[in-house]
Amino acid sequence: MWQTLKRHRYPYLFISPYLILFLVFQLVPTIATVYYSFTEWNGLRAPRWIGWRNYQLMMNDYMFSDAIRNTFRYWIVGAIGIMGLSLLIAMLLNSKVLRAKQFFRTATFLPYVCASVAMGLIFRMLFEEHAGLINEILLSLGGSRIPWLTSSAYAWIPVVILFVWRLTPWFTMIIFSGLLNISDEYYEAATVDGASGWQQFVRITLPLLNHILFFCFVTITVDAWRLFNESHILSGPGTSNTSLFELMYTSAFKNFKLGYGSALGVVLILILLGISLVQFMVRRRTGEI
Amino acid sequence: MSYKTKTVLRKSAVHALLWIIVAFCLFPVLWMSIISFKEVGESITGFNALRIQNPTLANYKRLFELIPIWTNLVNSAFTSIVGTVTTLFFCSLAGYAFAKFKFPGRNALFYFVIATMMISAEAGAVPLFVIMRRVGLVNSLWSLIIPRMATAIGIFYLRQYMLDVPDAILDSARIDGCGEFGIYRKVVLPIVKPALASWASITIIARWNDYFWPLLYLRDSSKYTLMVSVSMLPVSDGLSTPWQVVLSGTTLVIVPSIILYLIMQTYQKSGQVAGAVKG
Amino acid sequence: MHRKSMLLSLVAVVLVVMVAFPALAQKTYPDGKILIYSTGQPHFRESFYQPSIHRFAPNVDVETVQIETMHAGVQKIAMDNLAGAYKDMPDVIMLDAVGIMNLVDAGLLLDMTDYWTPIADQFVQGAVLDATIDGRVWALPDAVRPQLLFYNAAIFEEYDIDPAMMATFDGYLEAGRLLKERSNGEVYLSYIDPTTYTWRYWGRRGLMPQANARIWDEKGNVVIGQDEGTKLALGFLDQLHSEGLLYRTTMMQPPLYEATDQGKIATFYIGAFWDEFLRKNLTKTVGDWRVMNAPVFEEVGTGGAPVSTYFCVVDKGDDTYVDLFLDMWYDFSTNIEERNAWVNEMERLNGPYSNPVSLDVLADPFWQEPSAFYGGQSFRKAEADGLANPSPNMTVTPQDNEADGIISAEIEKYVAGEQTMEQAIANMDKELKLRIGRADMP
Repeated sequence: MWQTLKRHRYPYLFISPYLILFLVFQLVPTIATVYYSFTEWNGLRAPRWIGWRNYQLMMNDYMFSDAIRNTFRYWIVGAIGIMGLSLLIAMLLNSKVLRAKQFFRTATFLPYVCASVAMGLIFRMLFEEHAGLINEILLSLGGSRIPWLTSSAYAWIPVVILFVWRLTPWFTMIIFSGLLNISDEYYEAATVDGASGWQQFVRITLPLLNHILFFCFVTITVDAWRLFNESHILSGPGTSNTSLFELMYTSAFKNFKLGYGSALGVVLILILLGISLVQFMVRRRTGEI
Repeated sequence: MSYKTKTVLRKSAVHALLWIIVAFCLFPVLWMSIISFKEVGESITGFNALRIQNPTLANYKRLFELIPIWTNLVNSAFTSIVGTVTTLFFCSLAGYAFAKFKFPGRNALFYFVIATMMISAEAGAVPLFVIMRRVGLVNSLWSLIIPRMATAIGIFYLRQYMLDVPDAILDSARIDGCGEFGIYRKVVLPIVKPALASWASITIIARWNDYFWPLLYLRDSSKYTLMVSVSMLPVSDGLSTPWQVVLSGTTLVIVPSIILYLIMQTYQKSGQVAGAVKG
Repeated sequence: MHRKSMLLSLVAVVLVVMVAFPALAQKTYPDGKILIYSTGQPHFRESFYQPSIHRFAPNVDVETVQIETMHAGVQKIAMDNLAGAYKDMPDVIMLDAVGIMNLVDAGLLLDMTDYWTPIADQFVQGAVLDATIDGRVWALPDAVRPQLLFYNAAIFEEYDIDPAMMATFDGYLEAGRLLKERSNGEVYLSYIDPTTYTWRYWGRRGLMPQANARIWDEKGNVVIGQDEGTKLALGFLDQLHSEGLLYRTTMMQPPLYEATDQGKIATFYIGAFWDEFLRKNLTKTVGDWRVMNAPVFEEVGTGGAPVSTYFCVVDKGDDTYVDLFLDMWYDFSTNIEERNAWVNEMERLNGPYSNPVSLDVLADPFWQEPSAFYGGQSFRKAEADGLANPSPNMTVTPQDNEADGIISAEIEKYVAGEQTMEQAIANMDKELKLRIGRADMP
């Protein structure tokens, strides 16, 4: 044992910082969170063991089901929006007829650089019911004002728009780099065979981007379940657009229900673990790792 | 339609579409910057926002009175830069070990890294705070740096890149009597420089934009990062910072990251940033 | 011999006085700073505190940290407490009744009873009412500000409506109807906010105490669903809103100020703190505004409930600067000359200030001076007058912060038009029972 360690001391040494940091700053807090999820705790007095009560409350809590519904919505709409748009933009950027490629690449990446907190403040203003520019544009197009952030029916939309706006550039770049790796020969051969643009897209581009698109989907999934800043700053009535992570934050740090907040944290951890597991299995099956 | 007209049509369609997309990307930022130069009291609702009569720097002046900008700026720069440098170092070190060494437990450990890649530390924020206190890092900028010095995603990303480093080069360096750390520093790092650069640009922007952790760990305004200070401008109880001032704050937060990105852009060639995620 | 001993004792007395007197006048403190958490814009306070504290201890500074809400401050202290980081805690924090309740419950505040009792009669009556728990005083008053009715006199003149009719809520409703009718729906009586502010300003601090409404009964059981006062308070808000008398927009945001400046909003039934927001954000209706006492429910008969804010000394196991802070607090509360100068500065900077809690300071003619923003009416006097005939505030329990979140969620859904007020009240009752069950009554 000692011999093995000594012989392979370099790789172990190189990896050890990660392992130590993981242990101290992720594993221990995660275990502690599981423990606290079985307690009632307001942060001021000592935690009190209450068994499954937090989880029972969760089952009857409309705020929890709201948060799950909202996050689910952010996930699905976000994934479709982001992947569709980034595929489109990446293909435009990769177009042979495009001039000033560098300019367009840089300009379309900028939203990702902007802090979501700051953009949230700006979107709040743009989507304001009476004075926001969005409604003003709708009015001038002959539409009517929409209470974007003041009705449960619409409140999730600005959140999704901000989410998509900010993350699309990142995935555009990933897909774009994937497109660069597809050899022109495929398309030339397809053109000779008389395949239309759409057929080329479906038969060549999509299959060859398979892995990248899966990677994007997994990453968006995780980002959606961790969504916090956007819905926190663009909050609608009640829990109409609260995300699961935001509900955890509010329960734990605003209402001092640290036990209940921890229980929500455990649910979040389980969901993320599930996603990781699926991702891991798919990667392994496709021989990526 | 001739082949030529078809090409011209296609060309203008591609450009038109991209211009529309660029407009959507830039508009909110431009809108924000314009308002930040408007006088308090001038109408900023609807289309009025875009008309600027008396451009003024008063909002920025006011901002400097409201929050300790320079201190916060230094804090933000410190955590972003030191955070990026340390994470590059430790992630590349571990990535190198996974990519180029054979040792017992390598696969199991690497699967472990991948499995933990997606777990968010935020879910354990309450106990994390207690731990931070125990190690004496609360209200220290290091609390934002140390826990993320080596991240699973960074290790994964750099490891994928390092797989392409030819073993022959490493072996010949070993024969030349180079130590393992020396090989990492003198041979491996120069080869993966592009990957390091792209990972650095992503990390530094992400750290600059960091919000949740500084909000939790930093306790007084002299320790705040710029993001925290700015986010506190409009939401306070009994505080009525005019939107012009708030937006000058967000401008101050966003513009440096844009500039930083543009600078880094000139150092990078296309397609490298996400190069590791090859199909 | 006798004379000699007398002389000796005289010398001794003189010596003692010489040594002791400077120490009496100027207790010395170690170098350092007093850390104060406060909402609002505490840096405006620093311009008073910094010179003030240097009069007592030139080597000690004041540092203020702005907290988003009082509750965020309590949260920070709770986090420090749970991490055992007593040194990181502030020396002093500004809180309201709910915050005081939470920190007293956790044993984190210093008892101020012994300091307060001998000086109590220098201050307005009830100054420490919300900071008194089981007969002990846990905080020192900073401000007691009434609920008021701000109205745009120019609008009332234009549509020929007598503002005096708004002395009661029935009259207030009637005035709203007249405004709507005579302006063809252009002018709204007031605003309603789609977020948490509606519960806070229309509800907890406004209509609820004035209607004598209750969330809990004496034992801490949830009664909001059956309570007549709640029905009266929230029913009245529903009446205003359903008749279209309230302009729906987010508070403290430009659209509200612009609508107000355009003469679309005639009144604000809100706390005196609103003065600063009007002054700072309105440009076109300066001079048109007036203030009167809040309307009353004839069924109940009491006026607006005051909102008190307090400075609480945190028990962090280190009392180095406690006396120094008390000196500084007393200076801010009772130093007429300095206080008036500071208020003038605040007016110039459009900064926040409130009426003093000391009777001596209040008696100074300065606090009757006319205010240009209110067309010559003295806002300071109106603020003092607004404290007459107060409604008692709602009972506060350690669970009230959470309850506010639960209640506000239902009100927000009501404002969004997704449920009726009856449904909202029934849901509050149901959710409070599910999540809290029973409150710990003080």
